[in-house]
Amino acid sequence: MHFDLVGLPPSPDAISEFQKRIESDGIDSALAAETDALLASPQFGERWGRHWLDVARFAESSGKEANISFPYAWRYRDYVIDAVNAALPFDRFLIEQIAGDLLPYDNDADRARLLIATGFLAIGPKNLDEMNPLQFAADVADEQLDTVTRAVMASSVACARCHDHKFDPFSMQDYYALSSLFASTKTYFGTAVSPSNQIGGDPLVLPVGANAPILHPSIGKQRVEQLKTQLASLKKEQQDRIAAAMKARQSGGDAEKKFSIRDALRIFWTSGGIEGQLKKVDESGQALPLAMGVMDRQRIVNSPLLERGEINKPGQRIPRGFPRVFEIANSPRVPFRQSGRLEFARWLTHPDHPLTARVMTNRAWRHLLGAGLVRTMDNFGFNGERPSHPELLDTLAVRFMSDGWSIKKLVREIVLSRTYRQSSAYHEDAFRTDPENRLLWRAAKRRLDAEAIRDAMLVVAGELDTSRPVGSLVGTKIGDRPISLIGLDPNIPADLDGSKHRSVYLPVLRDRLPDVLDLFDFAEPSLVTGDRETTNVPVQALYLMNSSFVQSRATALANRVQREADDHEQRLRHAFVLCFSRAPDAVEIKLAAAFFEAEKGLTDKQYQQLLANYCQALLATAEFRNLD
Amino acid sequence: MTTPHSDSRSTSLLSRRHVLKSCASGFGYLAFAGLAHEAAAARDGGLAPQATHFPARAKRVIFLCMNGGPSHVDLLDYKPSLNQHSGDSSPIGRGRGGAKLLGSPFRFAQRGESGLWMSEVFPELGKQADELCVINSMQTDLPNHSQAFLQMHCGSFQFVRPSVGAWTLYGLGTENTNLPGFVTINPPSDNGGARNYGSGFLPAISQGTRVGTNQIPAFYAALLRKDQEPGPPLKNIENKNLSREQQRAQLDLVRSLNRHKLERDVHHPEIEGAIESFELAFRMQDEVPDVLDLRSEPESIFKLYGVGSGLPTDRFGRQCILARRLAESGVRFIEITAPVGWDHHFLLKDELTKSTLATDRPIAALLTDLKQRGLLHDTLVVWAGEFGRTPYAQSGNGRDHNNKGYSIWMAGGGVKAGLTYGATDEFGYEAVEKPVHIHDWHATILHLLGLDHERLTFNYGGRDFRLTDVYGNVATEILA
Repeated sequence: MHFDLVGLPPSPDAISEFQKRIESDGIDSALAAETDALLASPQFGERWGRHWLDVARFAESSGKEANISFPYAWRYRDYVIDAVNAALPFDRFLIEQIAGDLLPYDNDADRARLLIATGFLAIGPKNLDEMNPLQFAADVADEQLDTVTRAVMASSVACARCHDHKFDPFSMQDYYALSSLFASTKTYFGTAVSPSNQIGGDPLVLPVGANAPILHPSIGKQRVEQLKTQLASLKKEQQDRIAAAMKARQSGGDAEKKFSIRDALRIFWTSGGIEGQLKKVDESGQALPLAMGVMDRQRIVNSPLLERGEINKPGQRIPRGFPRVFEIANSPRVPFRQSGRLEFARWLTHPDHPLTARVMTNRAWRHLLGAGLVRTMDNFGFNGERPSHPELLDTLAVRFMSDGWSIKKLVREIVLSRTYRQSSAYHEDAFRTDPENRLLWRAAKRRLDAEAIRDAMLVVAGELDTSRPVGSLVGTKIGDRPISLIGLDPNIPADLDGSKHRSVYLPVLRDRLPDVLDLFDFAEPSLVTGDRETTNVPVQALYLMNSSFVQSRATALANRVQREADDHEQRLRHAFVLCFSRAPDAVEIKLAAAFFEAEKGLTDKQYQQLLANYCQALLATAEFRNLD
Repeated sequence: MTTPHSDSRSTSLLSRRHVLKSCASGFGYLAFAGLAHEAAAARDGGLAPQATHFPARAKRVIFLCMNGGPSHVDLLDYKPSLNQHSGDSSPIGRGRGGAKLLGSPFRFAQRGESGLWMSEVFPELGKQADELCVINSMQTDLPNHSQAFLQMHCGSFQFVRPSVGAWTLYGLGTENTNLPGFVTINPPSDNGGARNYGSGFLPAISQGTRVGTNQIPAFYAALLRKDQEPGPPLKNIENKNLSREQQRAQLDLVRSLNRHKLERDVHHPEIEGAIESFELAFRMQDEVPDVLDLRSEPESIFKLYGVGSGLPTDRFGRQCILARRLAESGVRFIEITAPVGWDHHFLLKDELTKSTLATDRPIAALLTDLKQRGLLHDTLVVWAGEFGRTPYAQSGNGRDHNNKGYSIWMAGGGVKAGLTYGATDEFGYEAVEKPVHIHDWHATILHLLGLDHERLTFNYGGRDFRLTDVYGNVATEILA
C-alpha cells in the first residue's frame, strides 16, 4: 500500500507502529488511519501526479527529428504534483489545464499557476524541422486535440482528421469543429530558431509578482542594447540584400550573388538566436519568469474542413463545437470572442458526460489493482475491450463525481475495499479458470515502476532527499539545445542520473531517457499512456549488476547497516529488514551466512566490499522490485 | 530433449517446481542452488535448443522491418496500367470518392536472370534479384499503423500476444546461451512499443532484447567526425568493481534468494523470468562486447555496407553489420527497424528516394555478405512493412495506407529464389491472386524454421494458443 499511494517503501519504524495500531484499534481502523496519513503526505502527489504525467505525455523536449529541449516544462510537472496534493477536484484540474488562461484569478501567484497549468497543451511532441508553418500549426492543434480526447475521454477523435472515424462515432465535421478551438489558440513553447530548429516558439511570460524561481541568467542592459543593435543590423542587411537582389534580377544580373541561400540561412539562424535571447529578459536585461502554456489568439477562427486532412485542400468552414455523439443538455455554447476551450473543458466535466469520470475511475483502479476494469486504458471505443465489471465501474464513477471529483476519496474507497485487501496467493483452480485474474480472485502481483525501484534503493540506502529540487536538469544545465548533442557534454552524466531526489524529478527527454527509466518501462513520453508495460530482459539485470547508480546505493546501504547494527549477523539481518520489510527466514539466514563463509581472513576493506556485494545482491533480487 | 509442444513443456515447468520443492530446505537446497549454470539452463529449458517438428530449412531469421508501410507500387509491384491511367479518377477503394490514380514516378526494370520487376530506387538490391522471393499479394486486417504493426509482429492486435520472434525462440531455443536468442535493433516506441518484441504469456526469457538507439544526427556526425551511434549500443555490460568470481558468488546468492521466493509463491512468472535473465546477463558480459564492437570489421566491409561519416547509409549499414555478427554468433531471431520512415502521405517521390537510398546498399551488402560466409542458405532474411500504399494519390503527391494488397520479400533459408508469388489487381490495390495473409506468412516462416504452426502451441488459461490463432496456410509454392 505504501508503494501504491506514495511510491516508497515503509520504514521499519512505520511498520512496527502500524502493527501496534492493529493490535490496539483493530485492522480496519488501523488501515483507514494509515491510508489517510499517506493520502495527506506530500509524497502522494509525487506518486499520483506522475500517473497523470504519464497520461499528459509530459516531457522536457520536443521529440521527433530535431528533439530540442524545453527548459520550462518542469513548471507544469510541479503544478501537477501540487494540484494532486492540494486535492484539487479532478474537474477543476482538467478545466485549469485546458483553459487556465481564460479563468479569473485573485492575484499574480494564482494567475501564474493557471498559466502554467495550460502547459498540458504545450508540452507535446513537435516537429521543429517542419518548414511549412501552416502544416506545423495544424499538427500542433491535432496533437492537442488528440491528447485531450485520449487523456480525458479515452477516445481517438483525431482519427477523423482525414476521414470519418472508421469504428467510433466521430465525423470529420466533429474533428474540425473541435480543432478550431486549438487553431484559435497560440502555443508558447519557448525554443529559439537555430540550425536544428526551424520553428521558433515564444515562451510564456509569467506575472513577475508571482515570484516564480528563474533558472536562466540576467544579461544586463548593455548586452540587451548590443543584441538589439546586432538584430537591427541583420534586419537591415537582409533588406539591403533583398533590394540588391531585386535590382540584379531586373537588370538581368545574378540575383543569387547578391543574396545567396547561405546568407539567408545565416541571417535567419543568427536573428532567431538573438530573438530567443531577448525574449528571456526584460528591457533592462533582467531574466523573466518563463513557462510553457497557451493563450487565445487575437483572431478566433472557424477552420475549414480539410479534405483528407490536406492543408492545401480547404473546404467549407465548420463552426466551432464539440463532438455531437454526446448531447449534453444545457452545456455551454462556444463564445464568439474566445477560442471556446473553457466551454469545451466545462462540457468534458459536465456530470452528464458519459466518459470523463469513468475513464478517470478506471485509471485509478488500474494503478491500485494492476489492470483496469476496462483494460484498454486509453481506448473506450469500439476497438477497446469491454469492462470486466461494468456496474462496478458505473457505481464508482458516479460516486467519484458526487464526492466532488476527489481523487483522494476515490483512492481511499478502493484501497479500503475487500478486493484490494485480498492476498496475492496462488490457487490452482482459480488460475486454471482465469489466469489473467479478470475476475479479481487475488491481488495482482506487480513489478514496481521504474521510479519506485530507484526511489526504494535510495530509501533503503538512507540517501533519499525528499525535498523538491528547483527545476530539473533540463532547466538548470541542459537549457534549450538539441538532445542529440548532450552526450558530447562531459558535465552531464551519461545516464542523466546524478541526483538523490525522487525519480519524478529526473529529466524526461523524449528518446533520451535516464537509464533507469528507459530500462524499466517508463511511459513513452510522446504518447498518452494509461498503462505501462512490464518487460523482463537481461539489460535490466545488467543495470542492477553493473551500473554505477546501483553500485553506489549498495555501498551506501552497506555503510548504513554497519553504522546501525553492531555485529555481523545483525547487519545481515538488518539489511534484509530494510530491503524487504521483513526478517529473513531460516533458509535465507543460511544463504546469507554462506555468502560470507566462503571468504576467510578478510581485511576491513575486503569485508566492506563483500558487505556491499551482499547488499547489492539484495537490491537485485526479484523480491525487491515485485509487490505481492 | 523435449519437443516444443505444450503438454511436454508445461510438464517440464511443473516438474521444475517439484524439484524446487523437494530441495527447498537445508543443505540440499544450498547444494541445488550452487549448481553450475549450464545444468540449470538445460533443465530450465528456457533457452536450450529444441527439436524441430520436421527438418528446418532456416536456422535463424533476420527481419528487416520497414516501419510505416512502404509503397509496393513504387518498389516491387510493377503496374503499367497504373502509369497509363495516372491522373484518372480512381475506380477502386476509398479513392472512388474522387481521388486520382497516381502512376509511379519511378522506372521499373526486370533484374537478374529471373527477371524480377524492381524499381530504379533499388539499384543495389536489383543485383541480388536472383536471391529474392517477392510476394506481391500480402494482406493484413487494418490500414492503421499501430494495429497493422502489431499484427505483423504478433498475429493479433486486439490482445497481448507473443511476437513472432518470441515464438521462434520458444520453438527452437538458442544455439548460443551467452547471448539473448532474440535481439531487436532500434525498435520504435510507438505502434505497440515493447509488445512487438514481447513474450506475452510465453516464458519471459523469450522476449526480445533491445539494443542501440543512441544516435546523433548525420549532419553533426559528419561535422564532428564522430560515429553516428557513439558509445556501446548496450550499456552496463562491464563491471568495474568485481572480478568474475566475485560477481558469480554474488549472483549465486541472488539466484538462491529468487528461487527460494519462487518456491514460496508457486506461480510467479516475473521471478522465473528474473532468474533466467540474470543468468543470461552474466554470460552476456563475456561475449556481447566483442559481438557489438564493429571496430574489428575490415575497411572493405564498411565500404560494402556504406558505413562512413556523413553517408546516408551509415546508420543502417552499421545495424546490418551488427545483424550479421549476431547471426554468426548464433542469435535465433534478429530484427532491425530501419531508421527511416516509409509513411509517405506527402512528397512520395523525394521521401521514398531518401528512404531507399539509406537502405538499398546496406541490405544488398547484407545478402552478399551472408552468402560469402555461407550463411544465407540457412538464414531467412525477411523485408516487410506493416502494409502497402494506395495506387491513388493523397495530397497530390503522396499515397494513403493500403492493407488489401502489398509486397514483401524473403531470401535465403529455404525460399525459392528469383520467384514472384501472387498478384494484385491491375492497379495494385487488392491482392487477387494467391493472397497471403499475415497468418499465412507467419505459418510459412515457422514452416521454414522446421516448426508446424498448428503444433507450436502454449497452454495458457486452459487453451492452447498459436501464433496463427486458428488461421494460417503455409504458402507451399514458395518453398525451395
